[in-house]
Amino acid sequence: MHDVINHLINTVFGLGWPGWAISLIAYLLIATILFMIVPFQMLFLTYFERRAIARMQDRVGPNRVGPEGIFQPVADGVKMFTKEDIVPDAADKWVHLIGPGIVVAPTMFMFAVLPWGPGMVPFDMNIGLLFFFAISSVSAVGLMASGWASNNKFALLGAMRAVAQMVSYEIPAVLSLLAIVLVTGSLSIVDLITFQSGLFISSSDVPGIPDFGLGWFVFTPVGFLAFIAFFIAALAEGERTPFDIPEADSEIVAGYMTEYSGMKFGLFYLAQYVLNFLLCAITAIIFFGGWQGPGVGWLYAQAITPANPAGNGLFNVLAGVLGVFYFLAKTYFFFFVMVWVRGAYARLRIDQLMDFGWKLLIPLTLVNVVSAAIWVGLTKWGAADGLAFVEGWAPLMRWAVAFVITLVMNLVAYFFLVRVYSQSQDERARLDDEVLERLTNVA
Amino acid sequence: MRSDRVGVLRLPYHYAPTTGGELMDLLIQIIFGLISALVIGAAMMVVTMRNVIHSALWLIASFFGVAALYLLMEAEFIAVVQVLVYVGAISILILFAIMLTRSNEGDRLFTTYWWTSGLIALGLFGAVLVPTLAGTIWNLPQPTGPAGAPEVLSGVEELGRGFVSEFVLHFEIAGVLLTVALIGAIVIAFEERSRRRRVLTLAEELELRKRQQASEHSAVAAADSVD
Repeated sequence: MHDVINHLINTVFGLGWPGWAISLIAYLLIATILFMIVPFQMLFLTYFERRAIARMQDRVGPNRVGPEGIFQPVADGVKMFTKEDIVPDAADKWVHLIGPGIVVAPTMFMFAVLPWGPGMVPFDMNIGLLFFFAISSVSAVGLMASGWASNNKFALLGAMRAVAQMVSYEIPAVLSLLAIVLVTGSLSIVDLITFQSGLFISSSDVPGIPDFGLGWFVFTPVGFLAFIAFFIAALAEGERTPFDIPEADSEIVAGYMTEYSGMKFGLFYLAQYVLNFLLCAITAIIFFGGWQGPGVGWLYAQAITPANPAGNGLFNVLAGVLGVFYFLAKTYFFFFVMVWVRGAYARLRIDQLMDFGWKLLIPLTLVNVVSAAIWVGLTKWGAADGLAFVEGWAPLMRWAVAFVITLVMNLVAYFFLVRVYSQSQDERARLDDEVLERLTNVA
Repeated sequence: MRSDRVGVLRLPYHYAPTTGGELMDLLIQIIFGLISALVIGAAMMVVTMRNVIHSALWLIASFFGVAALYLLMEAEFIAVVQVLVYVGAISILILFAIMLTRSNEGDRLFTTYWWTSGLIALGLFGAVLVPTLAGTIWNLPQPTGPAGAPEVLSGVEELGRGFVSEFVLHFEIAGVLLTVALIGAIVIAFEERSRRRRVLTLAEELELRKRQQASEHSAVAAADSVD
């Protein structure tokens, strides 16, 4: 983007503006484009979710506004804007007002480090992944503020539940990402994607693998377990159905957004769908290669890049289009899975939610971090790091040994932990039964 | 990591080209001023607000300002960790603590000896502030541009190396301390399940009714079989 603007202003118009002004214009332009894309994503996702869930429940879904109901989200938006904005008398006016803002703003920040295609990243921060999750945890403050300011017990309960859930599921999410960061050796999201070229085996692990853009992390045992754990944690962070207890409408009305109406309610809605889009996108990026796919790597090699300034601009466009297509296809697929889960599972109880997070997911991801370390030792280290015996093996051999060892480790850990977990759940049910009997004197 | 860097505001010269450098400097000075004003203003609001929750929210704003200052110094990792730990975790902890404990809003808990505690606080603050003010070289020459390649302070890597080599003892002590705190919290909060007093949920009442009916039914059946 910087180069394009620089070319336009300084070469075509000959204005000779300094570099920082060009950077400023480029970033402003990118921010504007992103701000225009984001609401459309949300509109599309709401429509998609309502239609898909209707199909699963043997209904038709919204089909009145426009062909096949495609303009339904627009009609909803108009309704939101024209609704009366009600602030309860007992509410804390200012905190009630800024609450939705604090919830929405972090989701917009997260787009700053999200790569859409090859060379298409707003800002390649060298700690992008950490930034993404640090910023996402800020919205908990907004939830808490809006729940408290509403001065309503349902809102406060919903906020408490939301924050407790977000804080506890952040740990397995971050731990599963830690395994991937260990394997890649970088916190940059762009590096994560470029690492995943190859064909079922990453070409960074085994040089000489043909690049079909399919060296995804999900094809390794470490990546697979991390993917499962991360996706479950993402469902909890996005308050999707098996974990939607913060806004369980049969228990606490609508949780923290009970006392909001009009566009403030719309902002919560926007934040939720944008967050879901982002979580699906980051799942696609970290475990399924983002824009990596057959053909993109070849196209991008012909394009104008810092490494290849003599390329052809047409290939930039082609690689970009194909990369964005792969990226969005994966992202929408994961959003479909989220809708699918919503159609298939009932809501968990809060103690089940906490048990599942703390007693199953966290130990599993901890084991996964250890197997990631073994993976790195076997595929990357040599005599200099104290692992002289792997020095002589061929790269493919090293990869295969690492694959088998981590597979066995993860499988054993999985079966052992699931066994312990289900036993503890049985024990708990038995205890509950005993308490019930003692309380009621009925066997 | 290195002591000669502490206290020096390093301006981001990576992006400053040869032309327009002064304007860039001015811009950074202005941004620095604005963010510092935010941090100090928010900190003032924390101690002057009468509502505890408002204080906590201002405290979060202040944390954010500090993170922005770190970002201005190109300490990206520290900035992100500041947001992750202080905004994402500590502030939530504070909010939870406030909401779950008894509220004494509006009470001004002044004793007759409030000024002694004020004096002690002032003295301690002065003991920190005076040596810092006296020991800082204020007339630092402004750096005049990129003198060779800027030294890259790759935060994450150096920090990680430091943790497992130079500061391994500090790191481990902190880890053990946190684990002890975690276990202690569990021990304090633990309540044996069978001793818990609780109200029956709707599902349990239903279950109970079913069992009562079943036991009556079996009693009737037993009586029938005796006849």
